[in-house]
Amino acid sequence: MVEQLLDILSYPPIQRAVIACVLCGASCALLSVFVVLMKMPLIGVSMSHAAFAGAVLGLLLGINPFLSGFILCLLVAAVLGPLSDRADIAPENLLGILFSFLMGIAFLGMGILTQTKAGALNLMWGSLLSLSETDVWVLTAVTAVLILFVILFFKEIRAVLFNRRVAASAGVPERMIYYMLLFLTGAVVSSNLATVGGLLIFALLVQPGATALQLTYNLKSFFWISAISGILACALGLVVSYIFDIPSGASVVLIATLLFALAFLFSPKRRLIKRNERNPSYENDVR
Amino acid sequence: MTQDILTLKDVSVRKQKTLVLKGIHLRLSENEFVGVIGPNGAGKTTLLNVIAGFEEFAGELHVFGRKETWKRVRRTRLRIGYVPQLFPVDPGFPILAAEAVMTGAVGRVGLFRNPGIKEHAEAVRLMEMMRIAHLASRPLGQLSGGERQKISLARAILQKPDVLLLDEPTANLDIAVQKEVLNLMDEISKREALTILFVTHDFNMLPERMRRVVMLKAGEKVFDGDIHKALRSDTLSRLFQYPLETFERNGRRFVSYG
Repeated sequence: MVEQLLDILSYPPIQRAVIACVLCGASCALLSVFVVLMKMPLIGVSMSHAAFAGAVLGLLLGINPFLSGFILCLLVAAVLGPLSDRADIAPENLLGILFSFLMGIAFLGMGILTQTKAGALNLMWGSLLSLSETDVWVLTAVTAVLILFVILFFKEIRAVLFNRRVAASAGVPERMIYYMLLFLTGAVVSSNLATVGGLLIFALLVQPGATALQLTYNLKSFFWISAISGILACALGLVVSYIFDIPSGASVVLIATLLFALAFLFSPKRRLIKRNERNPSYENDVR
Repeated sequence: MTQDILTLKDVSVRKQKTLVLKGIHLRLSENEFVGVIGPNGAGKTTLLNVIAGFEEFAGELHVFGRKETWKRVRRTRLRIGYVPQLFPVDPGFPILAAEAVMTGAVGRVGLFRNPGIKEHAEAVRLMEMMRIAHLASRPLGQLSGGERQKISLARAILQKPDVLLLDEPTANLDIAVQKEVLNLMDEISKREALTILFVTHDFNMLPERMRRVVMLKAGEKVFDGDIHKALRSDTLSRLFQYPLETFERNGRRFVSYG
């Protein structure tokens, strides 16, 4: 079995698939830290639908689907950013409307596509084995930018994740951080259309962060655990899909869910929180 | 001579066609400790948000002599510290108490630099002053409300502001903890020489160093002056539209809710 696996790794499409898988896991998992800690899963789902709808429109109009997906993601980010700054609008409702509207656009586009629908379906589920070298390079560049963003702005990111308003009051450029985050979400989601597709990517935008949330109080470790669980989910998912001959996207998502379930079951944080709840130290307040 | 730190001229805020602040005029001098009192919906938090730069407004606002809109440059933001009402933090959120305090130094040190020994030493000094140094390595989300508010105060002061805005910092805390936080504010006012604007609706829980009170009602300023004149039964009953009596004990004035 191991020999067989090593043998197929010598084929360039498989090599590209493995590299893309690792990059997909890393990029989505790093983003998932923000999605989970800023409690914005709806932004993730809206972005993934925007990328999908943009890509279908790209197929319709005869332009590069990933480019059109990225452009629509940026447009959605341009709408979402200012909306989330307005206190008089509940963003959740608008996000709900936005993502169903984008889904409608995507399915409308698929309905009137005269060419084969396989291309559009690949955008939905991803197609790891048909990745081009350009796809892998784009994904590499996007992942590198995201890693640089996290390293260079780590202390600002921590302040913004903690509380955007408090960060702003302390002179942290929280808008810049937030808008860069929206931009990077668009870039990661659209560059991963080819790997896991516009629908399944949502799982990878939540589960690695949710897994890390069960395990650590340290933000640096949080990013590491999230990235490792994302890469692990993608890599194991690929191997499992090869061994059992099942769709790779589905196995990636199922492995990610399994990793979350294990972290949840054996979470030292949950045990600590439960213990504290059982023995509330009221004296803390009047010390 | 004391210098004007903040000047508001005819400041109004409109939210969804309703005027929530109506033509407010206000001047704050150096080292003043001013209370903003009023019933719910009076516009107290909105006033604080205008000064903090979180709210669009009409009229003029001068901060340290410079005319400001709601969009602020970093230099101005750094000079205004802000302590919001107690906000929830998930028990599992990955931030320790000391790290939460250090976020107050992030804006001051600027991009691509990390807080150094000086900032860490200052954070330790503030945590000791607030009597929360022993909580430094505890997850923030597992601390009590009072402990989190002390962390919030330490964070805001680490920023080294000239003005400190406090938005009901003692709301939802037990009485003993409220008193402890108020004492800390008196200590901060004395030690750090700050101009403090303190929003509250509880006039029995006021810091001792507060000498001036601004009263707001339905977005309008209805009183601005000495605290002893403010805490009179006729003034307060009119403000809250409820019969309130005041009495003195140990040189301090208290309000009875009848």
